[in-house]
Amino acid sequence: MKNIRSGITFGIIGGMLTFLFGGWSVAIIGSLMGVGLGMGISGKLERKEPLKIILAVLPTALVAAVILVLLSLYQNNFVQHAIGKRPAADKIVLYGNLIGFFGTILFTTLLAALHGLPEKQEQKWRMVLLTLLVIAFPFVDKLTALRWTAQIIFALIFVILGLGLNIVVGYAGLLDLGYAAFFAIGAYTTGILSSPQHGIFMNFWLVIWIAAAMAAIWGFMLGAPTLPLRGDYLAIVTLGFGEIVPVLFKNLIDVTIKEPFTCWILPGLLKLFGAQTTMACITLMEHEDLTAGEKGISPIGRPYLPFIGEFKSSDPIPWYFLIIAIIILSVFIIRRLRDSRLGRSWMAIREDELAAAQMGIDPVKTKLAAFAMGATFSGFAGAFYAAYIAGIFPSVFDFSASIIILCVVILGGIGNINGVIVGGLVIMTADRLFLPALKDFLASLLTHTVLPSISDPVVQLAVKDNANPILYRFLLFGLTLVIMMAVRPEGLIPNAQVRAELHPDETPAIEVETPTSKKAKKG
Amino acid sequence: MLELKDVHTYYGNIHALKGISLKVNDGEIVTLIGSNGAGKSTTLRTIQGLNKPRSGSIVLDGVELHKLPAHEIATLGVAQSPEGRMIFPRMTVMENLEMGAYVRKDLTSFKDDIEHVFSLFPRLKERITQKGGTLSGGEQQMLAMGRALMAKPKILLLDEPSMGLAPLLVELIFDIIKKLNEEGTTILLVEQNALMALSIAHRGYVLQTGEIILSDSAKNLKNDEMVQKSYLGVE
Ligand SMILES: Nc1ncnc2c1ncn2[C@@H]1O[C@H](COP(=O)(O)OP(=O)(O)OP(=O)(O)O)[C@@H](O)[C@H]1O
Ligand SMILES: [Mg+2]
Repeated sequence: MKNIRSGITFGIIGGMLTFLFGGWSVAIIGSLMGVGLGMGISGKLERKEPLKIILAVLPTALVAAVILVLLSLYQNNFVQHAIGKRPAADKIVLYGNLIGFFGTILFTTLLAALHGLPEKQEQKWRMVLLTLLVIAFPFVDKLTALRWTAQIIFALIFVILGLGLNIVVGYAGLLDLGYAAFFAIGAYTTGILSSPQHGIFMNFWLVIWIAAAMAAIWGFMLGAPTLPLRGDYLAIVTLGFGEIVPVLFKNLIDVTIKEPFTCWILPGLLKLFGAQTTMACITLMEHEDLTAGEKGISPIGRPYLPFIGEFKSSDPIPWYFLIIAIIILSVFIIRRLRDSRLGRSWMAIREDELAAAQMGIDPVKTKLAAFAMGATFSGFAGAFYAAYIAGIFPSVFDFSASIIILCVVILGGIGNINGVIVGGLVIMTADRLFLPALKDFLASLLTHTVLPSISDPVVQLAVKDNANPILYRFLLFGLTLVIMMAVRPEGLIPNAQVRAELHPDETPAIEVETPTSKKAKKG
Repeated sequence: MLELKDVHTYYGNIHALKGISLKVNDGEIVTLIGSNGAGKSTTLRTIQGLNKPRSGSIVLDGVELHKLPAHEIATLGVAQSPEGRMIFPRMTVMENLEMGAYVRKDLTSFKDDIEHVFSLFPRLKERITQKGGTLSGGEQQMLAMGRALMAKPKILLLDEPSMGLAPLLVELIFDIIKKLNEEGTTILLVEQNALMALSIAHRGYVLQTGEIILSDSAKNLKNDEMVQKSYLGVE
């Protein structure tokens, strides 16, 4: 019965989404919804034969599919009229809804049925299926002309940022409120090293590593002064860094660097001995515009690959696969780190710094490693971002960016890699896809319903201007977080440790599994 | 093996240790007794580098500990079961024990050592995947001691290991300490239960408001009139 309710919820949400996107969207929404629904309900099912599971979840899948298609048809036949748009072509409607219908059922039952396999197998096949979906997505998106891929790429950039911040906040327990600073450092490194700004055009494949290294170095340097600090104090200092770095980039427009030895020290010494010589002073940089201030650096060099050629802004598919590759690499590295000696010491530091020192863990090295490693991933993200939008502007990296990244981590599930991935996707697709679509929808809806009946043009304009959900994005964002913290403080996909702590009654603490306890059982 | 010479430790301007000198020889059990606030825990914390002495020296096998940070002192073979236990609350029993072995370079005998700890404290084995923070007080005490043992220390600092344990377990703990010592671990033991401590220790020091007022063999201390009156509760 609970499953049927999930089916109804999914169906309604999916159906409402078709209101915003129309056209082929029902096909993709149905399939993705099926995946979500299947994975969501399979956790609550017993492990039994796949066929029995399919029979058990079929009603749920059917309910979701029917609701989806009904709403989608309703949208096409009535809502489109109401918002003054022409309905989609019959062929699109027919095939879109058919695919949506069967996609929902297929993926719901398939993912649920996998639960009939032993756990290892289930995870393997799930991975296979998700990989196929990830690969197929941009092509389907292109075929259906929905143009989601370009926006999903932004979500994936924030996934990487979230993964990096998760090392600092989730693993080492150091609350960092200025993480976007490292994102900025990665992006500006890329901008400076491959743009006409300085006439340097380094290859992207080299620059991305330099950007990561720069971010790591600065993570290290900015981490150092925070070492003696804990909790609230640490947060405030990182907040300061987060503010300083974008301001710095905004103002590095007239930089003069002189070599101190020949310019000050040597003449000073000579003066001491009474010599009145003028020295040729070596100037490394004079009135150089490093970052172009508010104007930002643009254009920025793009990656090039044989067979594919230079990545273009008109075709998001190569970018999509590039960022997916970076994510896979990051997840691989972060998993290894988490299970390594360093990962253990991060967690020990997070739990109790003094006890960790007693165990022989060097708190200084461990924390600096967390800051540096965390920053590295935002260096990757920054380099990709700069190349992808082919320009960088200081305002992108302000405090709100740091907070969004932190929200990705918290909403997804602090300390959990999968959670952070889901968190990034949810928050950023909401921000990049859902809100703009909702804005268009509301605008058309108002123009064809309420607006004509308002006689006063001032009021009319006010209504039109304020019915823009993008204006309220931070309000919505904050609201989501507040609700989330009240209802599910451990995040969407929580870390087992955090969940056990927040709901001691639900999860028997004894059965909580962690990488080491698994090893211990095997051994 | 371990020698403290005229160690002065402060908390801000509270003068907690006023010139402590003591010695622990290889293979000994040495006990520190004294009333609440005498500075026993502070002595152990100073040896471990969690508090830095303002003056004086602490030398372990020729290495000057007072110049080293806590984590390096741990790698030299000093492990402590601290007052307040300091268990990692969100790590499991197993993970806590693994953290204990963090300092060791040689992990070949790791499994045997874990088994050894479990044979000393079978209760821990039953709770292997339970979070440290959800253990009972006594279980945490066992875990703190087990974790210290996992480091295979040269010298083991025990701060009131019997605290919070049922009387039967207290005896067990003292048996274990004795056994560990027979197996070759040098032990510096702080105890409220002075009678028990003196009955297993070789030598003892009596601490009062940051100063050592008496030091002798455990047997003599046990028979000392002042000690009997003040710490053993003999009228
Ligand atoms: N963190 C601290 N800040 C200030 N003073 C402290 C601190 N820790 C201990 N002290 C003081 O130092 C003195 C010695 O404390 P210590 O903990 O070493 O006593 P103890 O002999 O272990 O006592 P007990 O038997 O109660 O554990 C006490 O007067 C105590 O108040
Ligand atoms: Mg004490």
